[in-house]
Amino acid sequence: MKNIKFFILFIAIALISCERDDICAATTQTTPRLIIEFYDATELEDLKNVPRLTVYGEGLFTDENGVTTEPTETSDNIVVYEDEFLFNDNFSKIGLPLIVGLEGETTTTRFVLEKDTNLRLDTTTTETSNKDIIEISYVTQFIYVSRACGYKSIFTELSVTRVTDSEPWLNSGIEIEDTIEFTVENENTTHVRIFH
Amino acid sequence: MFVSSIRSVFILLLVSTMAYAQEEKKTVNDTLVYKQKYGLRIGTDISKLARTFFDDNYSGFELMGDYRLTKRIYIAGEIGNEERTLETDYLNNTTKGSYFKGGIDINFYKNWLDMENMIYAGFRVGASTFSQKLNNYTIYDINNQYWNQQYTVEEGEEFSGLTALWIEMLVGLKAEVFNNFYAGVNVQLKVLISDSEINNYQNFYVPGYNRTYDSSRFGAGFGFNLSYLVPIFKKDKIVIQEKEVEE
Repeated sequence: MKNIKFFILFIAIALISCERDDICAATTQTTPRLIIEFYDATELEDLKNVPRLTVYGEGLFTDENGVTTEPTETSDNIVVYEDEFLFNDNFSKIGLPLIVGLEGETTTTRFVLEKDTNLRLDTTTTETSNKDIIEISYVTQFIYVSRACGYKSIFTELSVTRVTDSEPWLNSGIEIEDTIEFTVENENTTHVRIFH
Repeated sequence: MFVSSIRSVFILLLVSTMAYAQEEKKTVNDTLVYKQKYGLRIGTDISKLARTFFDDNYSGFELMGDYRLTKRIYIAGEIGNEERTLETDYLNNTTKGSYFKGGIDINFYKNWLDMENMIYAGFRVGASTFSQKLNNYTIYDINNQYWNQQYTVEEGEEFSGLTALWIEMLVGLKAEVFNNFYAGVNVQLKVLISDSEINNYQNFYVPGYNRTYDSSRFGAGFGFNLSYLVPIFKKDKIVIQEKEVEE
């Protein structure tokens, strides 16, 4: 009788010490990225690859004098989505990491979306790439997740605009998905559609 | 020669058995009376004192007491105060508060002669009131290397007026090391019944209950205690021994 009690107690203690509470599991939904899909400007329901797209944060490529430069090879300043550098390749879906700012205040993040990067890299042609800058603005809100993960940030009051440009390639509209109600909560859904 | 010696041993054994069987034996009851001390035993958990001294993130004190009700049953309780800081990679939290636990201990140990030691199992109901302070936290963002930015909120928030209720099963022992002076150890298994919900946060630690777990309501603890028995009255413990007496 007494032995059984001890046995139960030891099993219980063993179970408790096997807890995985202190590691934030990779499957946990934490701070999301902004998911953008590119659609055809005429066939509005069809995904359309952007040819030779390169994506990076505005102001990340500068030379030693602070003058803006352009990326010629993959580096840490190129956005990575699904283990792939968004550099000089065809993509129809990208995910952008947003800057986390003061809670409750509007923060903006700007990205350069460069189409036809190969034309710029190829020095034998006179044609060059087309760079458009998008500005994403949002309000951060911090949500408690768990003991191990702590807090994540979600982004409300989302707005995405194209910075004025003389010959834009993403000229057919940027649309925020109706279902997300201007809030980036997780990466399960596409947040923004860009038509081109 | 060898055979004859075996035979002589065998005969000797046989004879001695017969001689033994001839003796008459009778059992009688012998009654022994020991005085047993009943009273209030008060003490403290020295593991909490030691931890207060050695662990920068902990301070705590516990007073414990038990009162002997019957030969085997004791009413027991603990009252204490704890402050604990828990730190993870992403946040830092300090919990402060007091607790009370009350219940019974049942001694399963059959003491020899006049000894009054215990190997016991017990049951407690525990309650705590406490406050939690979120000292600082860092937003968990696996993509934060891109902008080379880790966002930390330095001014935290205090959540006060929190309560928790739990039940506890424990097993332990107490031994009289000097006259009326006891040393004991115990382990506790706890089940959290209820705790205050905090909006956009959680309870990390409950004084008396120890740390909480996200995925279960079980908790655990242990104690090393020193206590002193204030004897109030004595009762006789009657031991009936069977003795064999020769007629």
